[in-house]
Amino acid sequence: MDTTLKVQRSTFKKIMLVLVALGTVYFALSTEAFAMLTAKANHDRITIDFFYHGSTVSVKGLSDAGRDLVIKITSPEGHQVMKQKGKVAGVLWMNVGTLKFENTPNMYELFSTKKVDDILSREERAKHTIGYDALADHVEVNPTANAAEKTQWFGEFVKFKEASNLYKTDFGKIEMNDLPDGHQEYFIQTEWPYQAAPGAYTVSVYAVKDGKVVEQAESHVRVEQVGMVKTLAGMAKDSAAVYGFLSIGIALSAGFGVGLVFRKGGGSH
Amino acid sequence: MYLYLPVALTSINILIPVGLGLAVGLLSGLFGVGGGFLLTPLLIMFGIPSTVAAATDSNQIVAASTSGTYAHWKVGNVDFKMGLYLLVGGFVGGIIGVQAIKLLHAMGNADFVIKMTYVLMLGIVGVYMFIESIQSMKKSKSAVVEVREEKESAVGRFLKTLPLQTRFEKSGVTHSALVPIVLGAFVGILAAIMGVGGGFLMVPVMVYMLRMPMHVVVGTSLFQILFTCIEVTFLQAYTNHSVDFLLAVLLLVGSTVGAQIGTVFGRKLKGEQLKVLLAVIVLIVTVKIVFELTLTPSLLISQAGGH
Repeated sequence: MDTTLKVQRSTFKKIMLVLVALGTVYFALSTEAFAMLTAKANHDRITIDFFYHGSTVSVKGLSDAGRDLVIKITSPEGHQVMKQKGKVAGVLWMNVGTLKFENTPNMYELFSTKKVDDILSREERAKHTIGYDALADHVEVNPTANAAEKTQWFGEFVKFKEASNLYKTDFGKIEMNDLPDGHQEYFIQTEWPYQAAPGAYTVSVYAVKDGKVVEQAESHVRVEQVGMVKTLAGMAKDSAAVYGFLSIGIALSAGFGVGLVFRKGGGSH
Repeated sequence: MYLYLPVALTSINILIPVGLGLAVGLLSGLFGVGGGFLLTPLLIMFGIPSTVAAATDSNQIVAASTSGTYAHWKVGNVDFKMGLYLLVGGFVGGIIGVQAIKLLHAMGNADFVIKMTYVLMLGIVGVYMFIESIQSMKKSKSAVVEVREEKESAVGRFLKTLPLQTRFEKSGVTHSALVPIVLGAFVGILAAIMGVGGGFLMVPVMVYMLRMPMHVVVGTSLFQILFTCIEVTFLQAYTNHSVDFLLAVLLLVGSTVGAQIGTVFGRKLKGEQLKVLLAVIVLIVTVKIVFELTLTPSLLISQAGGH
């Protein structure tokens, strides 16, 4: 009796497992069928230790054949304060004020199969904040007197960010590969700048047809400090007094220590 | 080899901070200046955010000046009494200077005043030191002592009438206690406005106004800088969270050794030669700042913070 029950139970389990498996496959297939575009970043977590000097991130996936693609990597939007240089008395360049940038991502990288201006209408670019022009309309810059001034200072801001490898636009670097089933594979590998601060980054992929975004997929990259880097950064913020004393203590003992070493070595006299 | 800096949030080739530290430590040991006026802009040039560069620099100077003060103290070149009076004045001056900066910021033209103070002070000090030391080098063969005494009587008559006259044994000078306190305060005010330790101002003040011998000046200046920078480091770490411990360690590896080498070299050079060298460096920095002010910058925007 007991044995029969056991056999029955195990058969039931097997049937359930098969059903679950079938369900998963069906679900997976059906999502593929409705939304062809997929995106996957090879690194969903980048760790910063003492030897971190940036990383490489690749994004790949599938889309329907013949679509143009736009890949956008951004940090969350925020508030940034910058110093503004200007001429004083006609000859001297110096900081003349501060500019506040609102709704502005700290990192903005854009890769596309062709120039975004050629494949997307102005409205679509504005809707998805694709391209520097669209970003310029999206951000707020204060204080600026008029639109021309805003454009000028946003342009300077982009130059500054590009110089620190945090802003970038590039086209023609996405590798495309047609598959026999009417889909295409895409792949891009990009340098992840060490200047990108710890935080959550979003990789958005847009499939473009006839000047419009027809599909969209997302993936995420998280940048985190680990180990001693994390401990030190945390301490500098959370136990500032201890951190200050520690910094001074180390500096004093290093200075004194080297002094002693030089005396012993008879380096001077 | 690259290392990631946890507070600066950037990665740097370790040879850069160690090399910069060595160079600045050398100047520190030679001339008794902290080197903040040189190192901070260099760090910014290598991608360190300006707030972190300024704060970490003062942490590094603590190490370099400890190393230098120790080396100078061992050979009897630190006038502790004079150093303490200057410190008292510097402390008071620092407080006044910080208030002055707040006022200037409120008036909206702080940067202009700071930059102009830089150019004027560095320019005047550099030119004066240069001319004076070249002249005394020429005369030194015949009558150094005479020249000294002549000048002293011209400047010193008024100072001698002040109360609280006291003897500074190590430096071999007699001054009213008020003199180093007031001069220390003056340098403290300027240092706070300019955001630097003030060594390059303190050295000429001690040489030309307090009439101290150059070797004692260097040791005493380092002693005074040590305390100023301990205070600044703590305040920066506590209020701005901008001291990068790792960057400071890399810098001090170079600067502590550099300070020792500088001290050894300094003892081989004559006081006048040291003054000419320092004058030349100060003038080069002045010219560099003037260029920065007049040439169109490549980026019209920069990170807020720092000085």
